[in-house]
Amino acid sequence: MHKLPPMGRRRGGTFAALAAFFTVATMFLGIGGASALSMPPAPAAAPAAPAAQTGIQFTDASGKKFSVATDTTFAPFEFRDGSGELVGIDMDLLHAIAKAEGFEVDIKSLGFDAALQALQSNQVAGVIAGMSITDERKKIFDFSEPYFDSGVQMAVGKNNEDIKSYADLKGKTVTAKRGSEGETFANSIKDQYGFTVKALADSATMYDDVKAGNSVAVFDDYPVLAYGVSQNNGLKIVTEKEQGSSYGFAVNKGQNQDLLAAFNDGLAKLKANGEYDKILDKYLAKSEVQEQGGFFQLVKDSFPALMKGLWLTIVATVLSLAIALVLGILFGFFKVSESKILRGIATTYVSIFRGTPLLVQAFFFYFGLPQMTGQPIDVLTAGVLTLSLNAGAYMTEIVRGGIQSVDPGQLEASRSLGLGYVTSMRRVVVPQAIKIMTPSFINQFVITLKDTSLLAVIGFAELTYQGQQIYASNFRTGETLLIVAALYFIVITILTQLSNVLDRKFNK
Amino acid sequence: MSEENVKIAVRGLKKSFGSNEVLKGLDVNISEGEVVCVIGPSGSGKSTFLRCLNKLEDITGGTVTVNGYDLTEPKVDLNAVRQNIGMVFQHFNLFPHMSVIQNIMLAPVELKKLDKAAARAKGMELLKRVGLSEKADARPASLSGGQKQRVAIARALAMNPGIMLFDEATSALDPEMVGEVLQVIRDLAAEGMTMVVVTHEMGFAREVADRVIFMDAGYICEEGTPEAIFGNAQQPRLQEFLAKVL
Repeated sequence: MHKLPPMGRRRGGTFAALAAFFTVATMFLGIGGASALSMPPAPAAAPAAPAAQTGIQFTDASGKKFSVATDTTFAPFEFRDGSGELVGIDMDLLHAIAKAEGFEVDIKSLGFDAALQALQSNQVAGVIAGMSITDERKKIFDFSEPYFDSGVQMAVGKNNEDIKSYADLKGKTVTAKRGSEGETFANSIKDQYGFTVKALADSATMYDDVKAGNSVAVFDDYPVLAYGVSQNNGLKIVTEKEQGSSYGFAVNKGQNQDLLAAFNDGLAKLKANGEYDKILDKYLAKSEVQEQGGFFQLVKDSFPALMKGLWLTIVATVLSLAIALVLGILFGFFKVSESKILRGIATTYVSIFRGTPLLVQAFFFYFGLPQMTGQPIDVLTAGVLTLSLNAGAYMTEIVRGGIQSVDPGQLEASRSLGLGYVTSMRRVVVPQAIKIMTPSFINQFVITLKDTSLLAVIGFAELTYQGQQIYASNFRTGETLLIVAALYFIVITILTQLSNVLDRKFNK
Repeated sequence: MSEENVKIAVRGLKKSFGSNEVLKGLDVNISEGEVVCVIGPSGSGKSTFLRCLNKLEDITGGTVTVNGYDLTEPKVDLNAVRQNIGMVFQHFNLFPHMSVIQNIMLAPVELKKLDKAAARAKGMELLKRVGLSEKADARPASLSGGQKQRVAIARALAMNPGIMLFDEATSALDPEMVGEVLQVIRDLAAEGMTMVVVTHEMGFAREVADRVIFMDAGYICEEGTPEAIFGNAQQPRLQEFLAKVL
């Protein structure tokens, strides 16, 4: 829910994805033979044996392996725990159903929109991603039986004794997620009860808003809210669930019916044997015992995920700076050249990338360019492209400024000795320019490293993104961000010190 | 002065910066071994004239021929011509990131005239000539102004030029350092080097010059022997100028 683009669609989306998941699972589980044909990675050797051993009634899905797509983070349906493992209601249900029905699943955590696209292009057999079953989606997907009934609930601060029902909201402000069922519901009753609705972008932000006292209550989906409360997010639920949508597992219409059938069959079994309730309770029941660990426990738990993020941050920074340096030197020399055309090219480049926001560039390269060219681009490539072109523009100016700040008499003296332009630049001007440029380069280096955090918005799993993922599931926003900030600070301090040492060593 | 002895021939030289015409048509011949001092008020075009002689300034009109090469020809190998013209600047323009000896060795080594050892030996010889042998490995920043300018002269001599250009070589120096630099230039003159010296040192011009050129407002106003210029000035502008500076 943190990524901007999928967010709006999310609610429905999540539900839809869940539905899809179920559908897929169902299909896997097995319904019907005919559809096996439509499954590409289908049934290698699907011996009857395992099923026979477990005494399960087979479906045609048994023994097969299916790819199922899901979202990246939609707690409590799918999210990564501290160790980076994908967990949640969807995941537990799907694995349990697969086990009961004797098939295997290969989970692809793609993001909600990407999951649906992957399904439609038959790259995966099904989708489970907290996806609402809607009439519109039914036109292109076959859904499983609903595996979860959602609905909107209201929560207030843990210690708030004044607000117990909608009637207590008169004259107050409440919050709801932009574009969600919660917002629709809150708006539908706000005139009746006389309160104001403030729309915010994601659950973690809304809960922080309530805790900070800016809003007195939050309207959110029951599972999301219940999970947050179970994680001690500082809220308590005060109303019953309003009738909402149901989530289903989805397969493409008419395809993978064996999987869909298996999902339905397995779901029924889990409901019958009580495992279904156990899975839901695991994520939604409020257990007073489950206290949050201390700060250092949080550091320890989040460390693996944050290190993964930090690594990607550094990879993106190093790649971007290397390319930016080449661009900066190239266009920097263009800028000081005598050719009007070269100067024009460099000036245009700098104007474009310095004159537009980095975020717009990132969106353009990741979403815009593929739409215009039909050529998909992965998020690391898009991110590095954005950062290197952006930093390259600033480096161009650093190079130009460095060269122009060398006394023109230096070039004249060198040329008067009979040395050519290139030799004079190489031996006389550039060595002096580098010394002048070094502090600016170090500065740009730090800026680019920090700018990688902006790539979180296109879903690049760097350090900030990982931090967002963590507080999306544990609701400890402040502490998590402190850890993230400390990591940036440490890395940048180390690199700055290192650069300064090198600067002193080589630029005496 | 026979024509074959002419090292530098300037014909109708014009130079404009934008709409500002600085040189308005100069004609000068400079012969081998001749020492020409150029004097005149600030803004008269002395330095620009000098910088046209090795084409540090683009030439707007007329021709400048050095050692038989017309610098205004697009095809002329400017780098080759410049190797035969040493230039000394008012602000020294030593390369601050190199030691004194590296400053001197740069051109001979880069242009592959000498290998490093030979270039160093030649550089040391030049330093000895300007009296700075002990400063070979010092950085320019640690030298006095007079020492810097003597290094700059040694650097300009490293390619064995046949012509030396001096652009107000003593103007940026403290008065007590002017003498040591002028002595080096005086020695070069005595060795028969062809030199064009833009200077404000009237006493020096009178002493070393074979010929003095007085420039004013982009023209050559008057030229002649030092005796004629300083002792028997004809033009009112020159008389006025000398009255102020002497």
